[in-house]
Amino acid sequence: MGLNLRDKYLNFYSSDDSNLSIKERYLTLSRSFLIIMLLVTIVPLSITTALSYFQYRSLIRQETINNAQWNAESTRQGIESFIDKLRAMIQVVSESYRYKDLSVQENLDKVFENLKSKNKGIVDLSVIGPDGVQQAYSGPFNLKGKDYSDSPWYQKTLTRKVYVSEVFLGYRNVPHFVIAISKKVSGENGYWVLRASIDTDTLDQFLAGVRNENLVDAFLINSKGALQSSSHNYGNVSSQSPVSVERLPKNKDILTVENKQGSKSMVNVVARINESPWFLVLEQYGYADKKTWVLFKRELLVIYVVSFVVIICLTFFIASFLTSTVRKEEETREIILAESEHANKLASIGRLAAGIAHEINNPLAIINEKAGLMKDLLQVSNDFKYKDKFLMQIDAMENAVKRSRTITHRLLGFARRMDIKLEPVDINSVITEVLGFLDKEAAYQEIRIDQDLQPNLPDIMSDHGQLQQIFMNIINNAIDAVGNGGIIQISSRQIDTKTVRVDICDNGPGMPPEVLKKVFEPFFTTKKGSERQGTGLGLSITYGLIKKLGAKISASSEVGIGTTFTILIPIRSVSAEGGTDR
Amino acid sequence: MSKTKVLIVDDEEEFSNTLAERLCFRGFDAVSVGNADKAIAAIRNDWVPDVALLDLKMPGLSGLDTLEMIKKLDLGIEAIMITGHGSTASGIEGMKRGLFDYLMKPVDINELVAKINEAAKKNYDKT
Repeated sequence: MGLNLRDKYLNFYSSDDSNLSIKERYLTLSRSFLIIMLLVTIVPLSITTALSYFQYRSLIRQETINNAQWNAESTRQGIESFIDKLRAMIQVVSESYRYKDLSVQENLDKVFENLKSKNKGIVDLSVIGPDGVQQAYSGPFNLKGKDYSDSPWYQKTLTRKVYVSEVFLGYRNVPHFVIAISKKVSGENGYWVLRASIDTDTLDQFLAGVRNENLVDAFLINSKGALQSSSHNYGNVSSQSPVSVERLPKNKDILTVENKQGSKSMVNVVARINESPWFLVLEQYGYADKKTWVLFKRELLVIYVVSFVVIICLTFFIASFLTSTVRKEEETREIILAESEHANKLASIGRLAAGIAHEINNPLAIINEKAGLMKDLLQVSNDFKYKDKFLMQIDAMENAVKRSRTITHRLLGFARRMDIKLEPVDINSVITEVLGFLDKEAAYQEIRIDQDLQPNLPDIMSDHGQLQQIFMNIINNAIDAVGNGGIIQISSRQIDTKTVRVDICDNGPGMPPEVLKKVFEPFFTTKKGSERQGTGLGLSITYGLIKKLGAKISASSEVGIGTTFTILIPIRSVSAEGGTDR
Repeated sequence: MSKTKVLIVDDEEEFSNTLAERLCFRGFDAVSVGNADKAIAAIRNDWVPDVALLDLKMPGLSGLDTLEMIKKLDLGIEAIMITGHGSTASGIEGMKRGLFDYLMKPVDINELVAKINEAAKKNYDKT
C-alpha cells in the first residue's frame, strides 16, 4: 500500500528481480536479448551449415562410389571383351583346322604367327592330343612332348570345352594364363585340346590404361585373393592380396566397400569377370580426399565463421541498442510518472491547503478583530500603568496574525487554479519589473544583482503575471540564500527557435544533493529558524506555475559554490494541462 | 451627514460582532447578523444599509445567494465579500453579480474602512 508510483512501476517490470539493482537489471535484460538473438540466429545458421555439410557429403560420397563402380564396370567390360576376343580367335582356329592338320608343326607355326600378329599377348600356341601329351608347340619355350594329362587346367578344359585358366607358372616357370578349347578328334573317341598361353603383362598393360587421378590401384585376383596381375600396393603376380571375395554374393557381379587406409578414405570395388576365374579390384580415393570436398569444407567453414562473427557483432550491437532504447523509454516513463506523482501531490496538497486555510482564516479573523477592538478601546481609554505594554502586546498579536495570514494566503495561492492569460510577453521586461520590486531589499542587504539579458529576445506567448510570480519566487529565494554582500547573476538567452532560457545563479551556501532533489516538494524549506522563515511552498508554487505555462525548471547546486535555477520557456507557450497550443 | 450604515452578515458571530463594534468606533452605523434571513429581516425594518459585508460560506444561503437577494431588493446597497476561502472563482462570480469588492480574512481594518467608504461613495453617487 505504501509503494509510490515509481516503485510500483519498477516492480511491474521486475517483480522477481526486485532485489537487483537497476544496473544489474539492465545487464540481465541485455544478456537475455543477447542469448535470445544468438539462439534465433546461430542455431539456424548451425543447422543450415550442418545440413549443407551432410547433404553435400552424401552427394559427393555417392558420386565417388558411382564413379568407382562405373570405372570398375567399364574395366570389367574391357577385360571381358579382351578375353572374349582371345577365346574367339582360338575357337575359330579350332573350328577351322582339324587335329591332324594342326598337329603338323609347320601348320601350327603358321597359325601361331597369324594369331601373334593380331594379338601380341599370345606367347605360344600348342596342340595337346587325346592322351594329354603335347603334339605340337609354337612358341619360345621347349615344351613339345610335355604331358598335361594331370594338369588341372587340362582336366577343366576337357570338362568345360572352353577354359580360361588362372595365372600360373607351369613348366616354363613364367607367369601366364591359358585359353584352351577341347574338340573331339574326328573318327575317334578322344578329345584334342588347342591351347594358347597369354602373357600376364598383357593384363597389366590393360589395367594400367584404366588408371586415373582418383584410382590408387587396379588389379585382378582369383577367388582366394592371389594376385593375377601386378598390383601397385600388394606386389607382383601370385602374391597374396588382403582382398577377399567371400563378401561378394553369388548373384551379384559387383561389390563396393568403403574403408580407411591410414588417414585416407578409400572406396574398393570388387567386380566378377564373367567366364574367367578372376575378380577385378579397383581401389580409389574416397570422397574425403576429393579436391571438391576439401574446397567445399573450407568454403563452408569460412562462411560459417564469418557469419558467426558478423552475427555476434550485430547481436551485441542490437542487444545494446535495444537495452539502451528500453532504458531510455523506462527513464522517460519514470520521469513522466514522477512528474505526474508530483502534480498529483501538489493537487492533493492544494485541496488540503485550501481547506486548512479557510478553517484557519476564520479564527484568525476573530483574533485579529478582538485584538483590534482591544487596541481601539485602549486608545480611547485613559492612561494606566501598563497601557503601553498592553498596546505592545496587541501589536505583537496583530503582527502574528499578519504572519499567519501571509502563510494562509500563500497556501491558498498554492491551491488556486487561475486560468492562464496568454499574451505576448517580453521576458527581459518581466525580469526588470521583478528586480524593481526587489531592488530595495537587495540594496538593504548589499546584494549585487548582475544582469546579462540578451537584447532583442523574441516576445513569448505566456502569462505575464504568472511569470512575474515565478521570477519573484526564485529571485527572492536567491536573496535569502546569499545573505549580506552576496551576488546574484541573472541571464536570458534564446537557445533555439522555440525556447528562451533564463538562468538565476547565486553564490550562496549551495545545497547538498539530498536537499536539492527536494527543493520543489511542497512544505520543504531550508529557512526554518531563520529571520525570513519559509512556508516551503514558494518553489513548489513556482514549479506548478512553470508546468502550467508549459515551461521547464531545473536546479543545480554545489555546496560552498552556489545554486543555479534554469528555466526553459517555450516561445509559443503550451498549457501543460490542456496540452495544446493556444 | 448621516453615518454610513454597514450590515455585516457572517455566521462567525464573534467575528461579526467585534467587527461591527470596531466599525462603530470608526463612525459607522454597523449591525451584524448571523445569516441571510436575518440580513433580509434587518433591511426590512426601515434600516437600509449603504454597504453590506458578506461572508462567502455560511450555513443555509451562501454569501453569493445573499448578494443576489440584496441586489433583488434594488435598494442600491453595495456589497463587499469578506471570506476565509481563497477561491478566486467565487470572487469573480460575485463581481458578475454586482459585488463591489472582495477581501480575504483576516482583513486589515484600515483597508476595510477604505473599501467601505469607496462603496458608500459609489452608493451615494448613484442616489
